[in-house]
Amino acid sequence: MRRNTLVLGATLLILAIFAWAGWANWEYRRQEAERLLSGAGQGELVPAPGGGTPQYVSPLNGKPAPAFKLKDLAGNKVSLESYRGKAVLINFWATWCGPCRIETPWIVELRNKYAAQGFEVLGVDTEGDDLEKSDKAGWAKATAAAGKFVAKEKIPYPVLLDGDSISRDYGGLDDLPTSFFVDRKGVVVAAQVGLTSESDIESKIQKALNQ
Amino acid sequence: MRFLKGVFVAKIAALAVTALAAHGQSLNSTAQGRSLLKTDAVTYLFPEQVSVPAGKPSQVALHFRIAQGLHINSHTPSDDFLIPTTFSIPDGSGVRLDNATYPAGTVIALPIDPTTKLSVYTGEFVIQARLVATAGNHLVQGKLHYQACDNNQCMPPKTITVAIDVIGK
Repeated sequence: MRRNTLVLGATLLILAIFAWAGWANWEYRRQEAERLLSGAGQGELVPAPGGGTPQYVSPLNGKPAPAFKLKDLAGNKVSLESYRGKAVLINFWATWCGPCRIETPWIVELRNKYAAQGFEVLGVDTEGDDLEKSDKAGWAKATAAAGKFVAKEKIPYPVLLDGDSISRDYGGLDDLPTSFFVDRKGVVVAAQVGLTSESDIESKIQKALNQ
Repeated sequence: MRFLKGVFVAKIAALAVTALAAHGQSLNSTAQGRSLLKTDAVTYLFPEQVSVPAGKPSQVALHFRIAQGLHINSHTPSDDFLIPTTFSIPDGSGVRLDNATYPAGTVIALPIDPTTKLSVYTGEFVIQARLVATAGNHLVQGKLHYQACDNNQCMPPKTITVAIDVIGK
């Protein structure tokens, strides 16, 4: 009798361990799925040949740039599709981003240099990253800040608002500035996260023009 | 019969040990996976609990740590386009933020633009919060709003919760 009780107890204990291990395995798979989902579309930095600036390799490289249609500062809708046939730099930025403000004059200069060859920049403002859609005052303030910056820097290219609405398509945009270089066929040929240099941006513009 | 029971229990035990080993392996894999994810730029350190005289303003030092390699704007950034670090307490929590005193920022310049000076916090910093609590136990969900960068890139503005158990006596 006592032995039967012992065997029964041991069996129940072992079955409990099985149940726990099964639950732990399910939990692990759930967490792993979340991790993969959160990392979807994000690129990685790879060392440049010869030890130069690390290059950002986006999963979008070699793929069509995700389509979008956003309003510019004047309220007009601008689509990426309407720039097919031109090389386009899609530059995600915000006024609170110091490095973005450093690279903007470089981009303006390069845009003016290569515009005649069929190059255009679409500045995409992600000012309202932490704003609720219903926060009209917050959005008005963010738009005003973007407009003020555009005027100050004499930005000649379209600046589009609500970049956060397309951030998922472009890999999450965890950090700014982030740029995508799109060739005349609408394919992403290079990408960059963070501040690099004017010459680095220029080489990627040339790549987009010459693809 | 007794022999068969013994074999059955031994087999079940072996399977359980295998399951435990697999579980341990999966936990290790999870830990490795998580280390790839970004950590929060700012972490609230302490205090988790404070006792203050009810109805009287009391000074509480709130300690925070900024992740290595990052900086956040001070409460008084060098330019009006930059987002200041601010601490607040939502209404209705039984505790009111009477005043907050922020540390002075450290002046730095980005290597790529040495002419532009920035007023920032790095490492650990302390906000002196003057709290007024009603009598009782209040789980306060304070908010720290900040915007973090490193030398080359910036993360979007973020608000973290600063959980403090405030006991008004």
